[in-house]
Amino acid sequence: MSAGVDFAALGLEGLRVDHAAPFRMRRVAEGATVLTALDGRFAILDDDELRAFARGEVEEGSPLFEKLAGANLLADSFDVPAAAEMLRARRSFVGAGPNLHVFVVTLRCNTSCVYCHASRANMDAVHTDMTPEVAEKCVDFALSTTNPSVTIEFQGGEPLVAFDVMKHVIEYALERNANLGKELEFTLVSNLSLMDEEKLAYLIDRRVQICTSIDGPADVHDQMRKLPKAYGESGHALTLEWTRRINERYREMGLDETLYHVEALVTTTRALLPRWKELVDTYVDLGCRALFLRPLDPFGFADKTGDRIDYPREEYLEYYRRAVDYVIELNREGVEILERYAAIFLTKILRGEDPNFLDIRQPAGAGIGQLAYNYDGQIFTCDEGRMLHEMGDDSFRLGDVHTSSYRDVVGHPTVRAVVIAGQLAGLPDCNDCAYQLYCGVPPVHSHKTQGSIFGRMRESTLCQVHKGIQDYLFAKLAEGDAETRAILERWTTIRPREHFLHGA
Amino acid sequence: MSEQILAVPDAIARADMGDGSVELFVDESLYPLEAVYGASFTFLDRCFVFLDRPQPGRLRVILSAKKLGASPEVLREMVGEFANELLACAWREKITERNRATIEAVTMQAIGGAMGPPSLDDLEDFDFTEEPFEDPLGIAMSWEEKYGKKTAPPAATEGDEE
Ligand code: SF4
Ligand code: SF4
Repeated sequence: MSAGVDFAALGLEGLRVDHAAPFRMRRVAEGATVLTALDGRFAILDDDELRAFARGEVEEGSPLFEKLAGANLLADSFDVPAAAEMLRARRSFVGAGPNLHVFVVTLRCNTSCVYCHASRANMDAVHTDMTPEVAEKCVDFALSTTNPSVTIEFQGGEPLVAFDVMKHVIEYALERNANLGKELEFTLVSNLSLMDEEKLAYLIDRRVQICTSIDGPADVHDQMRKLPKAYGESGHALTLEWTRRINERYREMGLDETLYHVEALVTTTRALLPRWKELVDTYVDLGCRALFLRPLDPFGFADKTGDRIDYPREEYLEYYRRAVDYVIELNREGVEILERYAAIFLTKILRGEDPNFLDIRQPAGAGIGQLAYNYDGQIFTCDEGRMLHEMGDDSFRLGDVHTSSYRDVVGHPTVRAVVIAGQLAGLPDCNDCAYQLYCGVPPVHSHKTQGSIFGRMRESTLCQVHKGIQDYLFAKLAEGDAETRAILERWTTIRPREHFLHGA
Repeated sequence: MSEQILAVPDAIARADMGDGSVELFVDESLYPLEAVYGASFTFLDRCFVFLDRPQPGRLRVILSAKKLGASPEVLREMVGEFANELLACAWREKITERNRATIEAVTMQAIGGAMGPPSLDDLEDFDFTEEPFEDPLGIAMSWEEKYGKKTAPPAATEGDEE
C-alpha cells in the first residue's frame, strides 16, 4: 500500500516507472487515484488508467497520454521551464515581507467565549488598552515593512472597547502613509455588540473592512459566546442585526454586494457538529457570500475547555463534508456562497496560484507574512504566538516597538526557525504527500500541540483536517460532474476589493 | 521499582511508577545524537530530562514527570511520544539533507526579502572590525597566541636586515 493505493489488489506488483516523471499519489475514492506532479499539476486516474500507467502501457496520442502529459507526469515530455514557472507562481509571496499587522488594541472584552483564543480581560482591565504613544510606534513599525501593501487588523479583546485607540491608529497611519504611498487597508475583527451609528459612520468613512464571528444558530452561538444581559438579550441577535445593517449600508453606497459584505467566521464547537444545515442556512439568510468552517484552535481558553467543546477530527470532517455538500447543492439552485477552506485549497489545485492565506501556505506567514503587536508594544511572529504569550509561553516573541529595529525583528532567529520548519519539503509524511504543494501547517500549531515547531504530521490534528478536506475536494473532482466542477472553479476567483484600499 | 507497563522489552524502555519516571535506551547506530536531543527537548515542559551513556553505543534517556503521581497511562504516553518524536527527528534529518538546497533557497529569499537592504543607520551600527568580542582573559585565543609560538619564525624575505 502507498497513500491508500493497494497495488496488489490492482494487480500491480511489477511496476515500471522509467516512463514517469517524479510524482506523488493518493487514493481519494473507490476507483480514483490522484497523481500530483513536481509542479503541482495533477491527474485523476481510474483503476484501468492507473494500471496502464503503472505498467508503462500509455500509447502516445491516447486520451490517457494527453491527460498525463498535460499534468507534466511523463518523463519524455517533462517540461522543465513550465514546471519552474509554476513553482515560482506558487511561491510568489516569498520575499515580499510582512503584509498583515495585527494590532491588539486592548484585551478587554464584554463577551466571554468558552473558547476565547485571545485570552480576553475583564472590562475594568484598562491597563490592557494600548496607549496612543505605543499605537504610533506600532504604526511606524508596521509601515517599515518591505511589503508595498500593508493591512492593519484590529483584534482584541474587543477592539470596539478601545475605539479611540483604533481611531488614533487609523488617523496616524493615514497621515504617515501620505508620504510612503503604500497600499494600506484596515480590518476590524469584532463581535459587533458594541457597535453604534457613530462608530459605524466613522468605519464606513475610513473604509475599514469588518469581520465578525457567527457560530450558527442562536442557541449554539449564545451558549459559546456569552454576552452579559447588560449589553443585550442575545449576542447572536446583535451580531446578525449589525451584519445586516452594514451590508445594507454597502448596498446603499452602490458597492457590489458579492465583494463588499461583512466577512463572518465560524468556530466549530462540538455542539455545532450536528447542526451543519442550520449553520449554512443562517449564513445564507444573512446574505453572506462565504463561510469559513474553521475547527477549534488549541490556543487560549480552548486549551482548558477542550473537554467540553472539542471533538475527534473525523467527526469534524464528517460535518465539513455534509455542510459543503449542502453548500454545493445550494449553488446549483443559484445561491452564491462558498466555503473558504475549500476556496483556498481549490485556488492552489485548480489555478496553480496561491491566495496567500497565511496559515495554509509554505513557509507559513509567521514573521515574514505577518507580525502581531500586543497592547504594550511587544511584537510576535503571529497572533497565535501572541496568544501563547498570554498563556505564559514566550517562544514566539520577537522584540518590542520601543527597543527593537525592524530588521532585528524580521531577521530574528525565531523567524528563521519557523520559516525552515514551515517548509513541508523538510517534513516526514509531507515530503511524500500528494498534497504537499497545496498545503501548509503553521509551526506555532505544531509547537502548541506537539511541543516541536516541526511537528509530527501523522499525529497532527491540523494535518488530519487538511488531508481530509483535500481528499473530499479531489473526490468531488473525480466524480467528473461538469456543474460541480464549474461551481468549485467559481470559488477560486480572486477579485481585489479596491474600495478598501488607501494610498493605492 | 521498575514495572512492566509497556508492551516493549525492558531493554528498550522501562517505567518506574514510584518515581513517575521512564527510562529509555537508544541504539546509537540507529539514531543520530541530534535526534535524541530533539526528541528529549520536546519534554522539557512536562519532565525533567536526564541523558547519559551507560555503555558504548547505547544512550539512556530518563524522563521524570514534573507532576507527582503520574499514572501508568501518562508514563506509557511519554514512552510512546518519545519514540515517535525520535523517529520523526531522525527521518526529518535525512529528508532535510536531501532537500537542503530548496529549503535554504526559500529561507534566504523569504528572510532577505522581508528584511530588505540594510539602512545607513544599520550600517553605521554594524561592527566591521575583525574582533568578534572583547576577550581580556584571552579565553578565545589559541594556545600558541597566548603563550608564544614554539614553531620557527617565518623565513626572512628579501631585504630583511638586522
Ligand atoms: S473570542 Fe473575542 S469576543 Fe470572544 S471573549 Fe475572546 S475576545 Fe471576546
Ligand atoms: S500537512 Fe498533512 S496533508 Fe498537508 S502536506 Fe503534510 S502530510 Fe499532506
